Amino acid sequence: MPKENPTLYSVPKTTMWFAIVSLILLGSLIWTVYADYAREWKTWQRQFVRLKLEKARAELAQAEQGVDVKKLEELNRRHAEAQKSLAARRAEIRRLQKDLAKRDLELGKVRTRAQDLKQYEDSYKYYFEEYRLHRDPRAAEYEAKLGEVRAEAEKVKRELEGLEAAREIEARQADEYQAGEKELAIQIEELVKAKKTAAAKVKKLNPSLVTELLNAPMLDFIAPTLRIQQVVLEDLRDDYHFIQVQKVDRCTTCHLGIDQKGFEDAPQPFRTHPKPELFLSPSSPHPIEKVGCTVCHSGSGHAVSFTEAAHTPRNEEQMKEWQKKYRWRPMEKWDAKMLPLDHTEASCAKCHRNVVEVPQAERLNRGRRMAETYGCFGCHKIEGFENRWKVGPSLFNVQSKVKADWLTRWLADPKSFRASTRMPQIFHLSNASAPEEKKINDAAIEGIAAYLMKNSDAAELAEPPVPGDAGRGRKLVEETGCLGCHTVDGKGTSRFGPELSGLGSKTSAAWVFTWVKDPKHFSPDTRMPNLRLTDQEASDIAAYLVSLKNEAFEKTPPVRPEPAAVDWLVLENFKKTMRASEAEAELAKMSPEAKLQFVGKSSIAHQGCYACHDIKGFEEAKPIGTELSDHGRKDIHQLDFGLIHIEHTRHGWFFQKLKEPRIFDRGKVKAYYEKLRMPDFNFTDEEAGALVTFLLSLTREEIPLEMQRLLNLKEQAVESGRLLVSKFNCQGCHTLDGKTAEVRGFIEEAGNAPPVIDGEGAKVQQKWLHEFLRQPVTIRPWLTYRMPTFGFSDDHAKELVEYFSYLAGEDVSYRGLELPDVSLEKLGDGKMLFEKFQCVKCHKLDKASAMLGASFLAPDLVLSKARLQPDWVIEWLKDPQVLQEGTMMPTFFPDGSTPLPDVLGGDPQQQIEAIRDYLFRYAPDEDAPAETPPPAPVTPKS
Amino acid sequence: MKTMLALGVAFALIFTAGLPAADAATLAGKVAFEGTAPVAEKMAMDADPTCQMLHPDGAVADDVIVNSNGTLKNVFVYVKEGVTGTFPAPTDAVQFDQHGCQYTPKVFGIQVNQPLEIINSDNTLHNVHALPQNSKEFNLGMPIQGMKLKKTFTSPEVMVKIKCEVHPWMSAYAGVLEHPFYGVTNEEGAFEIKNLPPGNYVVETWHEKYGAQTQNVTIAGADEAKELAFSYKG
Repeated sequence: MPKENPTLYSVPKTTMWFAIVSLILLGSLIWTVYADYAREWKTWQRQFVRLKLEKARAELAQAEQGVDVKKLEELNRRHAEAQKSLAARRAEIRRLQKDLAKRDLELGKVRTRAQDLKQYEDSYKYYFEEYRLHRDPRAAEYEAKLGEVRAEAEKVKRELEGLEAAREIEARQADEYQAGEKELAIQIEELVKAKKTAAAKVKKLNPSLVTELLNAPMLDFIAPTLRIQQVVLEDLRDDYHFIQVQKVDRCTTCHLGIDQKGFEDAPQPFRTHPKPELFLSPSSPHPIEKVGCTVCHSGSGHAVSFTEAAHTPRNEEQMKEWQKKYRWRPMEKWDAKMLPLDHTEASCAKCHRNVVEVPQAERLNRGRRMAETYGCFGCHKIEGFENRWKVGPSLFNVQSKVKADWLTRWLADPKSFRASTRMPQIFHLSNASAPEEKKINDAAIEGIAAYLMKNSDAAELAEPPVPGDAGRGRKLVEETGCLGCHTVDGKGTSRFGPELSGLGSKTSAAWVFTWVKDPKHFSPDTRMPNLRLTDQEASDIAAYLVSLKNEAFEKTPPVRPEPAAVDWLVLENFKKTMRASEAEAELAKMSPEAKLQFVGKSSIAHQGCYACHDIKGFEEAKPIGTELSDHGRKDIHQLDFGLIHIEHTRHGWFFQKLKEPRIFDRGKVKAYYEKLRMPDFNFTDEEAGALVTFLLSLTREEIPLEMQRLLNLKEQAVESGRLLVSKFNCQGCHTLDGKTAEVRGFIEEAGNAPPVIDGEGAKVQQKWLHEFLRQPVTIRPWLTYRMPTFGFSDDHAKELVEYFSYLAGEDVSYRGLELPDVSLEKLGDGKMLFEKFQCVKCHKLDKASAMLGASFLAPDLVLSKARLQPDWVIEWLKDPQVLQEGTMMPTFFPDGSTPLPDVLGGDPQQQIEAIRDYLFRYAPDEDAPAETPPPAPVTPKS
Repeated sequence: MKTMLALGVAFALIFTAGLPAADAATLAGKVAFEGTAPVAEKMAMDADPTCQMLHPDGAVADDVIVNSNGTLKNVFVYVKEGVTGTFPAPTDAVQFDQHGCQYTPKVFGIQVNQPLEIINSDNTLHNVHALPQNSKEFNLGMPIQGMKLKKTFTSPEVMVKIKCEVHPWMSAYAGVLEHPFYGVTNEEGAFEIKNLPPGNYVVETWHEKYGAQTQNVTIAGADEAKELAFSYKG
């Protein structure tokens, strides 16, 4: 009887199962190893090695071409000959070398002997001196010893010198035999050096078994050549869903050439970063080790695959291309997606805070300026921009300026009056285009006009006291400075102030006259300055401006709403707080005028008109827009894309919103008061794009102070000044702070343009500048342009003085000028030069010279001592064109020479100083300076 | 003797280098003026007594000068298009004088980088303010009688205005060119452009008040003497 199998299982079956499971295990192991091994980034790194290899090969080829083959052959031939002759002499050289070795031995011995003797000598000398001092009898003994040892030392020294000379001769002989060969070898080396370096590079990059092994699966943990590259940013954190983790940027794992020269034209991801002087290089302000990549570009820095790094396609086309090429998909879970390239500048604002403009961030700066110009800050609170101003005119006195009919036409379609206006379209937009909605919009317009007419004051207007001449008025508008801010009738380019064309269809001559005579009389907070016009000038300007009509606009019928629409609006409002029946009862009690006033007030409140205009009854009203302080990081899920099919990105939504603010209402059923309210500014794509960059720059992201570009006190003062300069448009007329004056674009002769005021802080005395800003006086009588009176407060004037001074690298001091002490002799020379150069020929102000032409109206030199800085006068006299391009003031010292070699030793510097010193003592009523030096002579400013 | 010979050879070489090519032509002509000459305005020189004294009978504006033979003076005539090759700037300076509170010459041509020697012959302050668009602007004060200064223009430009701000009536025009093919009409209304190699050219005339005119010219070669006639209407 066969023995029963004691096991409860079948062995063959078990063996089979075991085999199957082992195979599965093996498979999964292989798969694990492979998955760990085959990484996307390795492909890029291999590709980069190939790219580098290609480049190295090209370099090698070039280096080879660079080698002068004939010369190399010749050198090689001569080298071979030299080696041959060297070989022939090999025995002799060897003998020489042997001799030399022997000689060296001998030399060593003698040298040691000489050193020993020197020590004995020192020792005997010491004892001899000691004993002699103490009158010890042993002195004589040591004197004798010293003499002996000295004689011996002298002998050895001579022997040593003889040996050294002999050795030199022998060594030279040996060298001579080899010199020719060595020299040739060096020359050959020199010739092929570049080639050798290139060849070494190629060899290093060439695929080899070693690198293959180092990068092989399972072995690649030891010392792989392909490895993840990363920049660890100590001070920065990434937000991993409420956990702050140290920022690590691994972008350089694939962007391998980003901080290397020579990959400027390489395909991505290997291309060199543009502007290395500004970014990534160690000497730039943004070195890669300190700033990394994602601080500016956003994206997921720790990721090492194309998709996971949260790359953002530039447009739909690129998105499709990426999907096909890289199987790209949007990273749902990573909020800080990479910024499209044209919006990268948005990140500059993270560290560059509290500055009016970020250096070199053109698009961001443009976006900011646009936001300022179009008054975004009026409706939307944005941290850091609270100090901006209302951009529309005050409507406190509007009833004295325009008529109700003009207002309704204007509100219905502002661009039909002035295509260039910045007043946006508020009514009759896409989400209010049904016939019923149109009627409601008309009711709101009529209501607003009625409200403004009733709720504004009647300002006192003066009729032009003298008849105005439109022709003269036009000339004044074109020549006194209006074009610094306004355009009119095709003249001028500045869009800072409103275009003045068509003004005659808007307001009266009395209003224009009163306004230009003193803008602050009509509107105390206006930015429009006072040009100190005479009655005649103001009348002429009024006559001209009211002659400009917009007839097409005048012909548009004024808006006349249906009473039913007015009633509906009142009811809708009442229903917010009352029962329907109560609302109807309330409505029935109201007069038509009361209804209009109510509709007007509620519509102004609803549309937020007071964000840009001062309106009575809305002095304390809160702006209606969303706060934008952190919009650069706005949660994408909080943005309502409505039923519109556009890419779901922040920048996509912002752009669409700016281009067509009401579009997200499309297809939706919404009540009147639920609808989107943002008005349409009619932005071009480019303008909207710049604004998107600005919006993306708004973030509360915490950046450690040490990473920020912090401003010192002077820089802060400069920024305050810059804001004022921007607010009052100084650069409309003056070239300043890197911006050319707008008016220089159309003033033909530079000498007739308002002055360049770059470096003004180093030119004039601060005390004078302060007074001048507060109360300008004529400096350049020949200019038709006038420095207007802006009515700056003391604080504003101070801020501007600081701005100009710090910008020019000067300190602020209101002490006034301390005149340098000068000898009477030098003053005499100054006077002589002053007369020889005939300065007063142009710098002389009297009625007769005013008749002669512009050049005879040069600045009154009497002003100099109170106005100018002594150091500046020196620079000015050297070459006026350098400081004020196109000036009528000639140089009297061309190329550092003087036409008067007999004065002050013909030294131009001394002559200029003498003129300057004389100038600062030049008295108003006499041509001679005060005879005595000034009361408190102090040393010149260093 | 040997040095003399060497010098002689050197001179001969220099001269032959400067001489026209054998087949170069001369372009000459006149600029006629049609109509009646405008009455020149009297210039008020009371700005500067020195100038007034130099013109006891009063001076008249020099922007339009119609010669007695019915031609127009001070018209700048130059080859505008068609010139090939490079022409090194002559080292001889163009003399530009301020004399009697007027510029002499009033209209002139100069090559790029050729020195312009500016002289003040008057005993009064002049300033020479050149207003080029393409070269560096300069504005020189010349207060001393007899003083001279040198300047150059570094880029071609037709025309560069030169003015004196001390004496607003003073103005002059310089035609700055990269080649030497230009002339200015004289008291006879005539101009001459020498050494022009064969080719197709556009010749332009320029006048301060009457503007520019162009004509096409073809020089076939071999010592041709081409006559051109221009005419301005008053």
